[in-house]
Amino acid sequence: MRISLALLAVLFLSLGFVSAQTYRGSGTVLDDGRFAASTKQLNQFFRRFNAEESPDGSKRYYPGDSLYHNIPLRQGFIQILFDNQTSSINDNLKKDFVDHVLSGVYPQYINFHREGWFAEVQTEFIFRGRREVATIFLKLQPEGLGYEWVIDEVSFDPFKRLFNKPEGDGKDFLHPLSHELGFMNLRRAFQDSDKPEAFTEKAFKPDYLTLFLYEMNNGNLRFETVTGVKFHFFQIEGWYFEVNQFNRPGFNTGWLIANLVKLNPGDKETVLDFIYDQN
Amino acid sequence: MKNRIYLSAIVFFLALSSGFAQSEEISPARKQAIDSLALEKVKDLSQYISIIGSKETQFSEANRVMDRAEELFAPGAEMGVSSINSNDIAYYKVRRYFERLMALNYDRVNITWYDIQYISDLERQPDGRYVGVITVYQRFEGTSIETGMNYKDTTKKDITIYVEKKQTQIAGRTIDFWDVMLGDVRVTETSA
Repeated sequence: MRISLALLAVLFLSLGFVSAQTYRGSGTVLDDGRFAASTKQLNQFFRRFNAEESPDGSKRYYPGDSLYHNIPLRQGFIQILFDNQTSSINDNLKKDFVDHVLSGVYPQYINFHREGWFAEVQTEFIFRGRREVATIFLKLQPEGLGYEWVIDEVSFDPFKRLFNKPEGDGKDFLHPLSHELGFMNLRRAFQDSDKPEAFTEKAFKPDYLTLFLYEMNNGNLRFETVTGVKFHFFQIEGWYFEVNQFNRPGFNTGWLIANLVKLNPGDKETVLDFIYDQN
Repeated sequence: MKNRIYLSAIVFFLALSSGFAQSEEISPARKQAIDSLALEKVKDLSQYISIIGSKETQFSEANRVMDRAEELFAPGAEMGVSSINSNDIAYYKVRRYFERLMALNYDRVNITWYDIQYISDLERQPDGRYVGVITVYQRFEGTSIETGMNYKDTTKKDITIYVEKKQTQIAGRTIDFWDVMLGDVRVTETSA
């Protein structure tokens, strides 16, 4: 079955421009199109991005359905999956991305179970009596008969402040004949220095997650609340995008692309370093 | 009466599921049937919330309805509530949430539901149960006659559903059926 762009345009417009809510009998309020337009769950973000559901979200499309992965449907969906109000994503960049994703030769899809996407969760904990913000990174992994979200990394300022490894001339060291003295000069590292990390190997990186769990198991960290969630996607080859939740009036709401970056070779590692904030 | 309705839903499942019994995969047809049962439970929850929140409901009746509402949920389920002004989530056990709703000091309370819902795919957990999320929108209006205060909000409710294959004995035969329980609910105030 062929579906024209014009028909899809009407469908998408109908998601967006119907006026004021109206009441229907027996305690039901008719949606004016805003909630239908909103990308209400991340699940819906996946389905819309891939064109795996009807424009109003009421029908799931499966392989074999005529509109499953339909290009004009995807085009319409992807346009409304961008935050078009506050994010300053360049129109040309957006067009490059859409063209890449909708390529007739090699169309790209996002997949819930495939690696290449993860969650960043802002939380608050009480740490040694003070309220502190912790950023928890979670990823999906196969486990048992299904899948589970697992904690992958944590970024926690009180720990980051603890580790500040000096470099170059400012860095203290154990001289190369320390072994002849039975390492008696370890005193320099563990007693005299306020930066014992200066005596670690070049590749040393503190494992904040282990520290975090250690403090929690010792009763020094108490979970308070979650204050925000966002998702990072690297599943589209050569691209990175960030998905945030927009809770605001209007039709451009819910889970939307807030940030889009075209990746050159080496950029992915830089972006990941920036997101994980471990240095 | 409600149990009778659910039983009929189970029978409906059984009718649909002949030939599925060996497979743990959920086909689109079965998914649709599970969605219907889950939506039925969500609608019951919506109705119970309206009754509990209404000032016209007697205390004893509200308690009875709270018992019924609690039975829809898996043990330990919580409500996580946040407002427009604060991103912090306040956590309440389901029963506590209902008690707070009942204790609201409005003379008139009107709770209505938007005619839109969204049902996620079902994903399998490590223990083999399936989990999904149903999103619904609620409009609340409370009026205090004494102060003339009128409070309105619209909340989005993301409701966890657990789908599990169970067995029952009917006329000496062991029969598989799929059951749905509600789980944690995220309540977010919207700007609508």
